[in-house]
Amino acid sequence: MRAPALIAACSALAIAGGAVLAGDKSQTVLSFSSPEREAILSHGPWPLPRSPDPSNRVSGQAGAIALGRRLFFDARLSADQKRSCATCHDPALSFADGRERSLGRERVDRNAIALANLQLNRWFGWTGAADSLWAQSIRPILDDKELGATPELVRDRLAADAGLSAAYGRLFGAEPAREAPERALVNVAKALAAFMETIVTGRTAFDAFRDALARGDAAAMARYPLPAQRGLQIFIGKGQCASCHHGPAFTNGEFDDVGVAYFAAAGRVDQGRHGGIAALRASPFTLLGPYNDDATRTTAGPTRHVEPQHRNWGEFRVPSLRNVANTAPYMHNGSLATLTDVARHYSDVDIERLHGDDGARLVRPLRLGPQERADLVAFLETLSGAIAVAD
Amino acid sequence: MRARWAAAVAFASSAAGFLPAASACPSADEGFARLGSGQAEIAYRWEPSVLKVGQFFTAEVIACRAPAAGAVREIVLDALMPAHGHGMNYRPTLAQAGPDRFRITGLMLHMPGRWRLTFDLMQGDTRTRLTQEVDLKP
Repeated sequence: MRAPALIAACSALAIAGGAVLAGDKSQTVLSFSSPEREAILSHGPWPLPRSPDPSNRVSGQAGAIALGRRLFFDARLSADQKRSCATCHDPALSFADGRERSLGRERVDRNAIALANLQLNRWFGWTGAADSLWAQSIRPILDDKELGATPELVRDRLAADAGLSAAYGRLFGAEPAREAPERALVNVAKALAAFMETIVTGRTAFDAFRDALARGDAAAMARYPLPAQRGLQIFIGKGQCASCHHGPAFTNGEFDDVGVAYFAAAGRVDQGRHGGIAALRASPFTLLGPYNDDATRTTAGPTRHVEPQHRNWGEFRVPSLRNVANTAPYMHNGSLATLTDVARHYSDVDIERLHGDDGARLVRPLRLGPQERADLVAFLETLSGAIAVAD
Repeated sequence: MRARWAAAVAFASSAAGFLPAASACPSADEGFARLGSGQAEIAYRWEPSVLKVGQFFTAEVIACRAPAAGAVREIVLDALMPAHGHGMNYRPTLAQAGPDRFRITGLMLHMPGRWRLTFDLMQGDTRTRLTQEVDLKP
């Protein structure tokens, strides 16, 4: 790794020849090359513009958001009426649960993904078994290990509550009692999705630095801590982290095998993306199915073109890194407790754990020293912003 | 085994009588780039015209010149990242849009960096490969 250059004495800003040179006497900014600047700028601006989901006709509607919010916290969506969506996606815990693996009616195989910025997703869940947020919302409701409900149970409990029933009727044009159970379930999921779309993360210290770089504001750039600057340089350089954690959301929205153990339990393998594609294809709730409200199916391209490949075994979602410092533990199985553990994992990754040869040349031991690992963590900690959510 | 997705169509072209040299190349004014080697040449353009990481795009490919006799019955378009040893995550589909003209949908390059695109022109049992490298900016 090349040594970062610290330039502290200049009083004037000069951006030339690929280097950011400046700061006042008390401030420092690393020298970033032209490709590095380009890479940094690619992680913004933030926030991104958002628009309603065309596959969900109630997306963005106030009535749907309000109904979805009520349902998100309502334990009547679970068979035993003891758990709700918020059990594993607690607003106080950045819409995750802080556990290695979540606890529904039973312990599940995977870590609860923090819910935020979901409108940017192409796929949902650790393995992309759903191609829309409303379809993803159905899965835990029906999963025996999670809420363990049925379409009939959801429909009947909704119909039994006058307030919920009326809200549903206003939104979807029919009383739940008159709906087919599967249709009622899908509509509940669409209301839940409308609410979850409103969960967004705000601007961060990194965003302020990135925007300062864009406008050539050295004084503002210098307010970004040096360890974070060094960590950023590793992130976009030696670490190759940005190959997958790309763009403003710090994810390319795809899947990769990064050498995490793939046994969910003794003798039982979590198939990862391979299983996710199989589940997608078996599901009636996809963008290619009858519940997609987008008659043109313009949003169904990825679903139409995705095909299982051998290397999908052991691949899991490349998660967004926005608010990553608030969403421990990490990896699909929650096996890494802290960001320091994550940095150590990539520093010493066991390439024998990788399923295929495809990922081997991208994921390889970074051999980061203690200071580099600390700097990388310092950078990741600057990706946190306040969460906004519809009241 | 490493799987790589390629787009292919087996159009049962009633191609008897097709000339060895295929269609005339469109001009750059129409947004086409040209790629040629030896006796083969294609013109291609992307929709959207600028490739971005993680964005699905469509390729329109015209076989302008081909080495063997007979029609170009299909063009197999594939993409590979040599530095990482992987291809695309999606399987494109190809449709024939006219004689020697093909439209390939469902293409997506999911990482920044250098991608190697290969266009295989298929004429009977003859395959002619043209290669284009693309540096995808972050």
